[in-house]
Amino acid sequence: MPPKADINKAGWEQSEFPILCETCLGDNAFVRMSKQEYARSCGACARPFTVFRWNPGSGMRFKSTVICQTCAKIKNVCQTCLLDLEYHLPTQVRDTALALKMQAPNSDINREYYAQNMDGKLDGNKTLLDSGRAMSAGKEMLKELARTDPYYKRNRPKICSFFVKGECTRGDECPYRHEKPVDNELSKQNIQDRYYGRNDPVAKKIMVGHADSQGLKPPEDTSITSLFLSSLPQSATEQSVRTQVVQSIPSVDPGQIKSVVHVAKSRCAFVNFKDRASAESAAQAWANGLDLDGERVTVKWGRGRPAAPQASTSRSVPVTS
Amino acid sequence: MPKIRTSRTKRPPEGFEEIEGILDEFAKKMRDAENESHEGKRKAESSWPIFQIAHQRSRYIYDLFYGREEAISRPLYEWLLKQGYADANLIAKWKKQGYEKLCCLRCIQTRDSNYQGSTCICRVPKAQLKSGTIVECVHCGCRGCSSDS
Repeated sequence: MPPKADINKAGWEQSEFPILCETCLGDNAFVRMSKQEYARSCGACARPFTVFRWNPGSGMRFKSTVICQTCAKIKNVCQTCLLDLEYHLPTQVRDTALALKMQAPNSDINREYYAQNMDGKLDGNKTLLDSGRAMSAGKEMLKELARTDPYYKRNRPKICSFFVKGECTRGDECPYRHEKPVDNELSKQNIQDRYYGRNDPVAKKIMVGHADSQGLKPPEDTSITSLFLSSLPQSATEQSVRTQVVQSIPSVDPGQIKSVVHVAKSRCAFVNFKDRASAESAAQAWANGLDLDGERVTVKWGRGRPAAPQASTSRSVPVTS
Repeated sequence: MPKIRTSRTKRPPEGFEEIEGILDEFAKKMRDAENESHEGKRKAESSWPIFQIAHQRSRYIYDLFYGREEAISRPLYEWLLKQGYADANLIAKWKKQGYEKLCCLRCIQTRDSNYQGSTCICRVPKAQLKSGTIVECVHCGCRGCSSDS
């Protein structure tokens, strides 16, 4: 009988096939993939893992897995592009829409311990997310945002750095792209941020765009920090509204909610936040509405308080006739 | 590294004087290639001229012996091989069908490739390569050494 394995011993990951999304695999039904055990350290948990490398189509760069299978299963994402496997959206977008709060530690030894323990638990094809529990409003939002067909521009070769300097001597046979590089907010991404869903510029762009299109464009008056909920169900009370609000935006601390005012007569409520940022993230999470007691509640930005009697330039102009 | 003439090396058989001039040219070219600066070249690219000149020199000697006019005698040929003027292993490949124009020995080494049993891209006939892709193999800069392209 083999000696009893120490369950806390640091084990390295081995896998047979990577967890990948359609775009990363490419358009060709036939793919030749190379496998290297323990070739790199995982981008999320820094443990050695099996690296798979393949060509996703002619004229594309060779792609390889960047995070280990365990980390991919924990967040239900593709091993190379770190986008959700169902909706192909960044982790941050999916988490705000579905109000998921991941308790995974993300620093040092805690991270490796957690990943290693999850390794045992997630054997097979289970993922940590149970999406049944999620709100249907969130799911609707994700369905709207999700891309339906593959986006192969992601697999293009990187920009030729020599061309940028004007020094590319390889000419036609250069496998890198000869284009001008774009340097905007989207260029500053890193694996850790994207994986854990914090400060992701792509996610921000998607959510801001979506909120705008749903009529939830943040008003220019930055002192407005309240949202207006209407068509509440009959059974709603201030307490139930507050609970639902807190539950559906895990990114915002419950202490950030200044007050919840419920007007039963007209079946609406106001949610006031302490600062503008939490109000905006709440608006993004509720872009498709908020589910309360099975009913869909519409969300709009509140209107600012009218200014004090002194002149406020945009406001009422005295009518003289 | 042989080719250094000491008192221990055997003297060249007759016929060497005619080709000595050309072999000297090759030696000069090789020296130049070795001393070139690496500026503006990729790391792999700086060793390409070495492979090219070695191929050319071996080709010259191979043609002299196996070519239409046997301009060289067998003892001289074998002396040249022994002295390292030509690569005997490479010439052994040239005698095989399909490898007549082989560029270097690295390109058929399957251990060097990422996928099991594969060879370098320069060994693929141009007819089977898609479109007008220009190929400069990473090992020796070869642009295609299959026998039908």
